Amino acid sequence: MLLHVWFWIALGVLVLVGIRRVFLGYPAAHVGAKALAARELATVRTAARVIFPEGGAIPASGDSARVAQHSDRFVHAQNPSNQLLMHLLFFAIEHGTILFPPPGRSRFRRFSDLREDQQLAYLESWRQSERPERRLVFTSLRAIVTMGYFADPNVLRALNLSPREIESPVIQADLLWPAVGQHPQDIRFGPEDVATGERAGPLLPGSPVHPEYR
Amino acid sequence: MSGDVRVFAEYNRDFEEVCDAVVVGSGPGGAVMARELARAGKDVVLLEEGPPFTPPDFELDGAISMARMMREGGLRTTRGTAMTTMQANVLGGGSLVNSAICVRAPASTLDGWCDEFELENTTRADLDPHYQAVEDFLGIAPTPDDVQGPRNLLFRDACRTLGYSSEPIARNVRGCRGSGECFTGCRARAKQSMDISYVPSAIAHGARVYTSMQVQRLLTKGSRVWGVEGRVVAPFTNAPSHRFRVQAKVVVLAAGCMATPVLMQRSGDFANGSSQVGENLQFHPGVAAMGVFPDPTHPEFGATQGYQSLEFVRDGYKLESLWAPPGVFAVRLPGLGFELKKNLALIPRAAIWDAIATCNRSKGRVRARRRGLDPALTWRLDPKDIGILVEGLWRITELFFAAGATRVLPGVHGLPEEIRSLDEARRIRSREFRESDFVLAGNHVFSTTRMHGDGRYGVVDQYGRCHEADNLYLADTGILPRSPSVNPMLTLMALAHRGAQQIAARL
Repeated sequence: MLLHVWFWIALGVLVLVGIRRVFLGYPAAHVGAKALAARELATVRTAARVIFPEGGAIPASGDSARVAQHSDRFVHAQNPSNQLLMHLLFFAIEHGTILFPPPGRSRFRRFSDLREDQQLAYLESWRQSERPERRLVFTSLRAIVTMGYFADPNVLRALNLSPREIESPVIQADLLWPAVGQHPQDIRFGPEDVATGERAGPLLPGSPVHPEYR
Repeated sequence: MSGDVRVFAEYNRDFEEVCDAVVVGSGPGGAVMARELARAGKDVVLLEEGPPFTPPDFELDGAISMARMMREGGLRTTRGTAMTTMQANVLGGGSLVNSAICVRAPASTLDGWCDEFELENTTRADLDPHYQAVEDFLGIAPTPDDVQGPRNLLFRDACRTLGYSSEPIARNVRGCRGSGECFTGCRARAKQSMDISYVPSAIAHGARVYTSMQVQRLLTKGSRVWGVEGRVVAPFTNAPSHRFRVQAKVVVLAAGCMATPVLMQRSGDFANGSSQVGENLQFHPGVAAMGVFPDPTHPEFGATQGYQSLEFVRDGYKLESLWAPPGVFAVRLPGLGFELKKNLALIPRAAIWDAIATCNRSKGRVRARRRGLDPALTWRLDPKDIGILVEGLWRITELFFAAGATRVLPGVHGLPEEIRSLDEARRIRSREFRESDFVLAGNHVFSTTRMHGDGRYGVVDQYGRCHEADNLYLADTGILPRSPSVNPMLTLMALAHRGAQQIAARL
């Protein structure tokens, strides 16, 4: 009988610890998050900080590049089954420390609560794992974070990879359909606007940069 | 005579149309079909699930661009051997987001098709008039030097140094400015994607073009098809609204190699007595590596893919130069934290070259899922085909060092993260690899409804007509019996051009 009571007490404690671990104690989500919960944003933000720390060869960090916000947008733009996979991905990274803990004390803490050196070691272990499934999971996380990092104009500017200003010439097809979501009445071009004559020449390193990347 | 165009904002009720030929899908196969049939005076309806994109709709952010323009947000992956592959969901299909490569299939490849798949009239000589017609219409020409940019010219120089053949890639482009933005939509409006070339011409010849139309089912009676039906869907979300039905004397499915089989399977496994629908799925898996040079290469300038080498096509791979949004390449660079940043800082001095492999032993299948129209893809890289990828990777590395690269970052598990000499690179050939060591991309997809002279082994004949349904034609890369050895778009368009002539003669 006593054993029975202790079993239920232990189970209850485990459940509480599990709830605390999975759901509680994360920093608040940024205002306007559409797809990711606060706990998932914490995972992404931490991963972005570890993968792209402040300083070094490119000044921008994962934080300053607003990778978490971009990831939220990216997940939101996906269909429901992809979104589910992404939620599972973030969960696997955040709580994979139970199966693949980094070295050091308190190593079973969730990923976003580890020390910085442990976070780096933990992600490295995923990246260099001999198990292809683990590498695949890590590559997926890294793809989301890296695409977000490179969406920041400051990153492209630092690498001299900013897109250039290109004035799109009006062509016949522009008289046929409007921008996505608009009505044909919104087409603002007429036949007189269709570009004729010489096209603009090749872009060169000195060509003006796209206004949003200046 | 001018046709009609409708976009999502214009649909306000269920509707029904009648025509001579309904074409499902506006990619390179469907657009050519629609235009040629309309030009022959036939009453054509062209249906496209995606919306038309104009320059304000193009996203420079690679991730968001993929999510908006690709099915499954650009994250479609095969089971078996995990490999990403994509299918566009826009007016113009893949032509809007590919690098415009238009290469005729080698004569030896087409001869091989004829022998193995019992095709009588599909030699290079048979297809040359159709290749020519498409090339003339789209202004296909070799990429000129002034928009090659340094990274493409380095590829050319490396080939010359090693004595390998190379050539500027022929592309469907007019007035390229070398922005390297082919994959996110050509802001310069230079790429002659279907939405600005064949589709407008089809409209000019009287075709009706309806976008945001998701075809969900073929309408069949016995062994004939009499139309299609489906729902109007909202751009990006695919939220369904009104119903439609189109009756036609001839139905042309050009929904894409991964969607057409699903549509046939969802229509009571129509015209599939051979059990070949959805079988024989093949890709051109690609491997890429980054070479780092002592001086800036300004990789963001120049045609996305400007030079290629067909030297090793008979060995199963084609070499080419490549560019894409930097975030895409950055995913594969080694290191984390400051080490990764150091590697990212090399991109302005880098070039990326790739090998696309003909892996005829590696096959899979397409199946309809329980719900929805997205396919379940199963595919496995045959261990013997891994050798082709390894050879491709070795040649890329060899070319990099011949061009003066100081190091190569192969991005393959089990290899050093940086290769600093040709001697070190030779280890690539002596090492054993597993399929999971590579980060593969499934560049081109084909053969899921392959042509074959014998209806027991294929779905369509060499004109794209279904063996088991006299008035159902297919016109996407699914009909290619196997790899065309090079990029498939031009060959598909030539086959569609020929198929349209046969349909027009019958109607």
